[in-house]
Amino acid sequence: MFELFTSMMKEEWRVHSTMFGSLSFALFPVLIFGIALMGSFLLPLMRTTLPAGNLTMIVHANYLMLGIMVGAFGLLGNEVMNRRFGQASFLSYSARSLPLSDRFIFTNFVVKDTIYYFFLWVFPFGFGYILASPFTGVLIADALFLLLTLTLSFLFGLCGVFFLSTVYAWSKPVLLLLLLVLGAGIGGLSALAGLNPALFFPPLLLNSAFSWTNLLLSCAVLAALFGISLLLFNPESVGSEKKYKNSFTPLMERFGFLPNPPLAAKDIIDLYRSGSMVGQTIFSFILPLGVIWFFLSLMDRFFPPHGLLFLFAITTGVIASTMYTWVTMFDTFGPYACLPVTVSTLIASKLTTFSILQLIPAAFIAVVAVLSGEAAVLVPAVVLGISVSFYAVSVMAWLCGLSPNELVYDVKVLFVYLVLVGIVITLFTSVAFANPSYALSAVILAVPAWWFVEKAKIRWDAVDPAGF
Amino acid sequence: MTRVIEARDLSKAYGDVQAVDHVTLSVEEGALFGLLGPNGSGKTTMIRMLTGQTRPSSGTATVLGTDVVTDPVGVRWQVGIIPEQETPPSFLTAMEYLRFVAAVRRIPDIEKKADWWFDFLDFADKKDVLCKDLSRGTRQKLMFVQAFIHEPSLALIDEPLINFDPIMQDVVKDYLAGYVKKRRTVFISTHFLEVAEEICSAFAILHKGRPLHSGPVTELKEKGEHLPAFFLSLVRTDRHV
Ligand SMILES: Nc1ncnc2c1ncn2[C@@H]1O[C@H](COP(=O)(O)OP(=O)(O)O)[C@@H](O)[C@H]1O
Ligand SMILES: [Mg+2]
Repeated sequence: MFELFTSMMKEEWRVHSTMFGSLSFALFPVLIFGIALMGSFLLPLMRTTLPAGNLTMIVHANYLMLGIMVGAFGLLGNEVMNRRFGQASFLSYSARSLPLSDRFIFTNFVVKDTIYYFFLWVFPFGFGYILASPFTGVLIADALFLLLTLTLSFLFGLCGVFFLSTVYAWSKPVLLLLLLVLGAGIGGLSALAGLNPALFFPPLLLNSAFSWTNLLLSCAVLAALFGISLLLFNPESVGSEKKYKNSFTPLMERFGFLPNPPLAAKDIIDLYRSGSMVGQTIFSFILPLGVIWFFLSLMDRFFPPHGLLFLFAITTGVIASTMYTWVTMFDTFGPYACLPVTVSTLIASKLTTFSILQLIPAAFIAVVAVLSGEAAVLVPAVVLGISVSFYAVSVMAWLCGLSPNELVYDVKVLFVYLVLVGIVITLFTSVAFANPSYALSAVILAVPAWWFVEKAKIRWDAVDPAGF
Repeated sequence: MTRVIEARDLSKAYGDVQAVDHVTLSVEEGALFGLLGPNGSGKTTMIRMLTGQTRPSSGTATVLGTDVVTDPVGVRWQVGIIPEQETPPSFLTAMEYLRFVAAVRRIPDIEKKADWWFDFLDFADKKDVLCKDLSRGTRQKLMFVQAFIHEPSLALIDEPLINFDPIMQDVVKDYLAGYVKKRRTVFISTHFLEVAEEICSAFAILHKGRPLHSGPVTELKEKGEHLPAFFLSLVRTDRHV
């Protein structure tokens, strides 16, 4: 049944490309390629400040994180099936009327997502590095090898989160137990060996010293994670008709101080009942940040005092800004179109819900600051992280309106986003590195953030909402 | 008679597709107006333009005196709408959804009104079930309630009967026929011609986006013609490309 697979691929392409034209979408991998190519030329420069090993590590960490985020976003087991199947227009839904098993459809769906994102993100990056190799003095064999280990990193993230999320859907206590055992194992290992556990990450081990055993072992682990996930997958039992008490009125009353209480209450209920509040927090927030923390902490000695914490706070801010995609993924403008609600009202209300969710990153940064014994700079770190998050989300709202999940693949959008956010990150990293208390100045980001939100409202009200 | 809908030269193009092509039509207060046409003739697009859900490529329209282009939200405050495909948001229960609509539209006494509707459309047992777990027909009932709960002076419904069983179709037909008796107006799109003939007071026929005919149903009856036959002969002889 290869047709199902190819049709799903075509569908995914069409969903993205119709939103902003095939050309703009096809350029997306080209942009990633360009970034890698340019980056490669900076390598000799970076080597003077950072040892090559660390650079390799950062790139691997990024791809691991990418895998986790793609996995968390695309494959959140039952929930996503539910959500995607809910949209009757999608093939994975209509395929249910064909004589095919749910598991078969799901497998196709997962493999499709993996390949799709591989060609969008991983391959162009590796390719850029390879093309640059004759000029940067990197052996082409090494560059090819890097593509292999990066791919493995990506797949580890993807399969890892796929596995964990299936366990999560299957039984939450088992997931908790599993995470505890994993945490204890990793902690114990690093305590015993006196090494950062990130060094034991298979693709990195492989990258530092190639061995067939290691490569085969990596592949075996990946296959096992993938296989077990598919086995554990149980199709959503439809028509459960479970009854719920009225949560809407109490929530709306609690949010009475907000500009649009009913809209906020609805968003929170969506997040909560779909399981996304917990699921997304674990898989698209804590997990990737945990990974980043491991890898960043390896380079602690290259940073000024508190530098690691501030870099981490900024990263948390950027990742926290993607919570906007959590609140926009449940609905298009469609269901609101029969109510007297404008797109700008909806953007404002989604941003309000987003603001409530910012309690999560704020608490997270605070906890990390305390745990790493840097409670003294807790306040500037939290302020920096949250300011960056609000700034980044305002740029996202201006660029994407209510469809950040789709429009991010518009190369123009991504490019502008990267530039606008990149400048701010660079600026405030150096400010915080200069003096921790200077990080408080990040509150000034509220001004451009407010400006972008106002622009977003005007811009997206003028667009025909039929496009959403 | 006041005109509640006035459309002049209304057109909508999606790329090369001319979904609606220079339609001029008016609907009088108290009418049960049927917009008829085969699949793809532009009925949905027409309703979406009249309710400010999509912008016309050209032409103008006012609904209850409000311009659909300059004040789409103003139009939506006043009318009730049942879109063709949209379903209520997945993770709210049926009752919560009505509370949500009531909060947005500022409708008082929602509890009592909702209960009346749950009884009337016979789905009180589904009140506390999440919308995503409701059957298609039940979701359609909920969308129906959503459109009428604020008793708008004009309701626009895209294919009102399509997901209902024969019993429910009867209930809905009677409700619509009764609704317009109190100087309120209903605008429906349908390709159920017998139903249109039975309940509509006036109708227009669209074909490939263009209006082929528009007028009161009595006009046909006086000539002794039946709507289905009239419709088929018009559409079949329309050679315009
Ligand atoms: N969003 C859209 N994008 C492109 N074409 C559309 C869109 N909506 C409708 N059309 C096209 O416009 C024409 C009229 O469609 P529609 O108004 O849905 O007709 P009806 O409701 O009478 O079946 C069809 O050819 C349809 O394919
Ligand atoms: Mg239609």
